[in-house]
Amino acid sequence: MVAEAVKDILNDLPNLDLNDIDAAFYSYFSDHLEQQLCMHWIIHDYIGLCSKPAYRVESGGATPIDAIINAYAYIRAGLFDEVLVCGWEKMSELDTPKVNEFIAMASDTDWDYPVGGYYTGYYAVLETRHMHLYGETEEDLARLAVKNHNSATYNPYSQWQSQHGTSKISIDDVFKSRLIAWPYRVHNCAMISDGASALLLASEEKAKELTDTPVWITGVGLGTDTMRPGDRIDNPAWVGVYPEDEKAWPKTEARPMSPYPEMANFGSFRVAADMAYKMAKVDNPLKQLDLAEIFNPYDGVEICAYEDLRFCKRGEGKTLVREGVTEFGGDLPCQVSGALTAQGHAVGSTSVAQTIDVFWQLREEIGKKWGAPGRQVSGAERGLIQGHGGTGCQAGVIVIER
Amino acid sequence: MSTEPGEKVLKEKKYAPDWDSWSLKGDWTIIGHKIIEGVRGKRLDELTPQQYVIAQRPHSTVYHHSFGLISKFFRGLVEKKLYGTRCPKCGLVYCPPRAHCWRRECRLEETVWIELPLRGTLVTYSVMAFAATPFLKHLPFILTYVRVDGTNASIPVRLTGIKPEEVNVGLKVNLNFVDEPKGDLMDIYATPAEKPVPPKRTPEELRRLKEDVETVRRWLKRRFPE
Repeated sequence: MVAEAVKDILNDLPNLDLNDIDAAFYSYFSDHLEQQLCMHWIIHDYIGLCSKPAYRVESGGATPIDAIINAYAYIRAGLFDEVLVCGWEKMSELDTPKVNEFIAMASDTDWDYPVGGYYTGYYAVLETRHMHLYGETEEDLARLAVKNHNSATYNPYSQWQSQHGTSKISIDDVFKSRLIAWPYRVHNCAMISDGASALLLASEEKAKELTDTPVWITGVGLGTDTMRPGDRIDNPAWVGVYPEDEKAWPKTEARPMSPYPEMANFGSFRVAADMAYKMAKVDNPLKQLDLAEIFNPYDGVEICAYEDLRFCKRGEGKTLVREGVTEFGGDLPCQVSGALTAQGHAVGSTSVAQTIDVFWQLREEIGKKWGAPGRQVSGAERGLIQGHGGTGCQAGVIVIER
Repeated sequence: MSTEPGEKVLKEKKYAPDWDSWSLKGDWTIIGHKIIEGVRGKRLDELTPQQYVIAQRPHSTVYHHSFGLISKFFRGLVEKKLYGTRCPKCGLVYCPPRAHCWRRECRLEETVWIELPLRGTLVTYSVMAFAATPFLKHLPFILTYVRVDGTNASIPVRLTGIKPEEVNVGLKVNLNFVDEPKGDLMDIYATPAEKPVPPKRTPEELRRLKEDVETVRRWLKRRFPE
């Protein structure tokens, strides 16, 4: 799978010589899904790069965004000029409950795991809290599921399309899909996927040698929050850090010590986004970004991300959904790929794949790469990719521009 | 897992010896295989047929896991007591316990143990309709996070004695111990300490939730007929 992804880069860049690649950064999440530690050593020698430096990056769901940011940092530090970033995951070796169990080993196995049992449960309780405070409904979540699944029907790399074809789904179809953990139904949840993807990152000088149409990383950011979501109600580390968001705490509700991010929002997204925005000189993301790919293992995360990535004020994520702002054709299309719930969620590959989706959009290649010219975001110049792991325990954001 | 010099065992509940034979059974042995015809290719419009071999290999083991400096909490569960820790500098109270205070100004001050009341408030919840393998048989269940009275965190607890559609954020709960605690958070369960005020739902949302819970029960009967 990884070799096929790397071959795609070689096909796109006839001048690229594998001998010139200085190092490779590898992104895969779980050693348990395939009973193999250090799988990147296998991949590294399989694609012919052994003798060159290789790094494995692992931070749960944040693994792929983290790998890209690490590769970027090494290039910026001047250590390497051309770096390959490969992401993959093969999750089909185990049945669905066991895959969920092994993924849940990324949660605190002494505390959360024995009771909650898996991530859908943790994310469900977080979303229940956000719904309770800010009033989005099951229908808002269903709207997002419809938007993202129907987007995937145009994407020939999507798992949804391979399993369900190109017919569109409706809100009613979402409600007919099985409940997993209220408020989340099957169509609100990430898919379990096999997949791989690869990116080539290069210094400015090298990039210009390799292509006439490079896309630049102009901002990167990383952030964290607690391992256990239950610890987020009174966290001294957040007190007073984001006063505007603290003010958006509903007056009718008992006020925790740290009202933002609390259990309702994802503070790690905010810290990562602010760092990336500062670097990329973005001060009005809704206006300055042309599209975004958000790491949405569950639909409620997308609503929170709108708020935490500053697309809108805290509590107004639902409004962007209802007004279609993030639909294809809206002011800021999000998840044109279909993202985790429909393009697929091969964990180590996910944010690398989403970056490639935005990369193709910025190079106006969607017609060629997807065979779906109608899904090209016209004139797209700047895009955002956000990734995270755990229950938002670690997050990364990159801004890329043509 | 062996005893270090200077260590002695104060109390032990030995596990049944068949767990050792279980952890040896079939590790890494290929217990079956199949050959399938599938596809290869990146894009759905560019797939070609491909044959694959799939081998089936089991893996199992027993971990001998120490809870380190917060071991007292788990010992407390077995003795049907709920413990937390308090920072002597800033007064924050932790449950789950922290052996060192995380408030940066306290510079990792060591905390002290305190016994906690068996009461709390529901911070959030979910009606669980699917689970990881070990928990499938518990479905459907209500997962909640409860702030134990007087603490600065919340712990995951299952809630019983209430209809799924009646559970709401803010519910006051009692914490109860199971008859035979084993030493993890599943030794505790919550029950309502007051008359629940259900969240606002449209008739359609209410109908759907009730139906969903019935669907899970039916699915479970099919999956585990015994």
